Amino acid sequence: MTEQSFASELPWLWAGLCAYALATFTSVWGVVTVQMRGLLVHEKRYEQLVLALLVTGVVLLTLAITARWVRIGHGPWISLFELLVSQLWSLGLVFSLVYWRVPALRASAVVALPVMWVLGTWVLTLEPTASHFPATYYNNWKWVHVLLGKAYLACLLIGVGLSGVMMARRFFPASRRWFAIMPGDDIIDRIAWRVMILALVFDSLMLIAGAVWAQDAWGRYWSWDALETSAFLTWLGLAVGLHLRATYKIPYWVGGAIIWGVFFLAFTTYFGTPYLSPAAHKGVV
Amino acid sequence: MRFLASLKITLLGMILLALAAALSYGNPADVSVWVLVAPLVLLAANLTAAIFTNPRINRQTGLLVFHVGLLGLVILVAIGRLTHLDAHIELTQDQEFSPDLLLDTKAGPLHAGSIGQVIFRQGPYTVDYEVGMKRGLTFSHVLVPQADGSAREEVIGDDRPLVLQGYRFYTSFNKGFSVLLTWEPDGGVPISGTVNMPSYPLFDYRQDNVWQAPGGPEVKFWLQLQTGITEKQAWTLDGRNSQGVLVVTSDELRTELRPGEAVTLPGGQLRYERLLTWMGYAVFYDPTIRWLFFVAIISVIGLGWHYWVKMGSRLLPSAHELRPEGLSDAVERSS
Repeated sequence: MTEQSFASELPWLWAGLCAYALATFTSVWGVVTVQMRGLLVHEKRYEQLVLALLVTGVVLLTLAITARWVRIGHGPWISLFELLVSQLWSLGLVFSLVYWRVPALRASAVVALPVMWVLGTWVLTLEPTASHFPATYYNNWKWVHVLLGKAYLACLLIGVGLSGVMMARRFFPASRRWFAIMPGDDIIDRIAWRVMILALVFDSLMLIAGAVWAQDAWGRYWSWDALETSAFLTWLGLAVGLHLRATYKIPYWVGGAIIWGVFFLAFTTYFGTPYLSPAAHKGVV
Repeated sequence: MRFLASLKITLLGMILLALAAALSYGNPADVSVWVLVAPLVLLAANLTAAIFTNPRINRQTGLLVFHVGLLGLVILVAIGRLTHLDAHIELTQDQEFSPDLLLDTKAGPLHAGSIGQVIFRQGPYTVDYEVGMKRGLTFSHVLVPQADGSAREEVIGDDRPLVLQGYRFYTSFNKGFSVLLTWEPDGGVPISGTVNMPSYPLFDYRQDNVWQAPGGPEVKFWLQLQTGITEKQAWTLDGRNSQGVLVVTSDELRTELRPGEAVTLPGGQLRYERLLTWMGYAVFYDPTIRWLFFVAIISVIGLGWHYWVKMGSRLLPSAHELRPEGLSDAVERSS
């Protein structure tokens, strides 16, 4: 019998991913068709459906995480499978809140939700094998570190959605009609970079919490391991982006490209660098 | 001063620092620490100049706190590297800590801690293993002498270090068994000491070592352990529940010794007194770590404060500004 056959979390996971997929298709369909009809008002019906599907996805992923937690005895901290499911959950939760509270930015879901689907597709290729909970993960700073990291990545996702709209308007003029319901690029750029400053706050706090955890768990607060180096480069990339924008009058699409670059670095830090080795911090679990 | 405060220098310094960070990945021996120090010095100078001359920093309290905090962090890290100490140590059960036992010591040139005043004695330990020999929690017992002559027992392990005089002792995966031996030279004074075997259970299959008897022959040891080790179920490594038969080989003579037994060798008699354990610790000292934490937190509070004052109350622009671009175009066209 394979682990796949008794992984109780999988039905909930698949159902959650289906809900996210439907939300993605509905948002794309809504933005394209509503704008084609020339409507410049928020189309409540499809937006409400997108929101309902997102919330359903979050609830189903909550059940998936809970089922796995009960099955293997610990939370989604260790394996790539667990980290992806956990991020799908938190990104979906934060994006749902933004989608609900800020109608003017809802069309950016057309960019942000497909990005989430990279995670969704990836997780489907992984085995839900039970992971070992290392002694160093009993430390409570892990919670602080992880929660701040989730807030940080969620900010980046919102920034990616907004900057994706700016870049689409620049490079695919036809898309201007789709996003006509959103504010102008100057306003989107301003909001996106405000979210980036918020991301810097969460990123800085995440690094501090991670350093405290590392000091407790491995006897050093920083040692330039793969994850720490990558995380520092991401922090620096964000700082460079903010200073670049403060120094030069960069075009909106360039600012958008910088946000995408920072997101790419963060994505690599979260989902690539830790798996250069079987442990999140190479050799020290 | 204004030239030094330029944001273009900030960008150059950040790019150089990013390159330095990438080069420093994994602490390679062939990359000098100056690769990191040089861009940090440039950025610190740039930041200092900016704090004094740039009104966007020094007239906005939150940003000022954040940037002064960053400068403070650089200074604290520099002090930390100049005064730090990193080392390893293997302490045998019942052995008292001594600075002379430190291994792989790396200390900053200005290290001036009171490691000579660190006193504690190693006790027994247990390590839990899950099915499949996956290491769980470590509980290492140490005895710390008190002013009244008594000893306080502390149980440390994993993320619970022993902290004495600012030195932090962290248990490691490196631990194992040791044998207490007494060598009684012919006509001489008996001496006792321990021989540590390789890390256990990492080298379960290779519990051997070589020892040169003072004035006697070279002796090979092989320790046959009974610890209850199993991969099929959860298991606890505990020296108090373990037995070991010591196989002593010298020249052609091979003898199996149980605790309390002895073997006569050329030049004297070797007695296997009892089985002990040893624990490997990582030793860390950096007087700045608490300050680093507080300064880092205050810096981020400064940034958060700036964010809140400048934008937090209006993260989103006004409803007028948020109106659809298409609608704006239509309004402009109609006017």
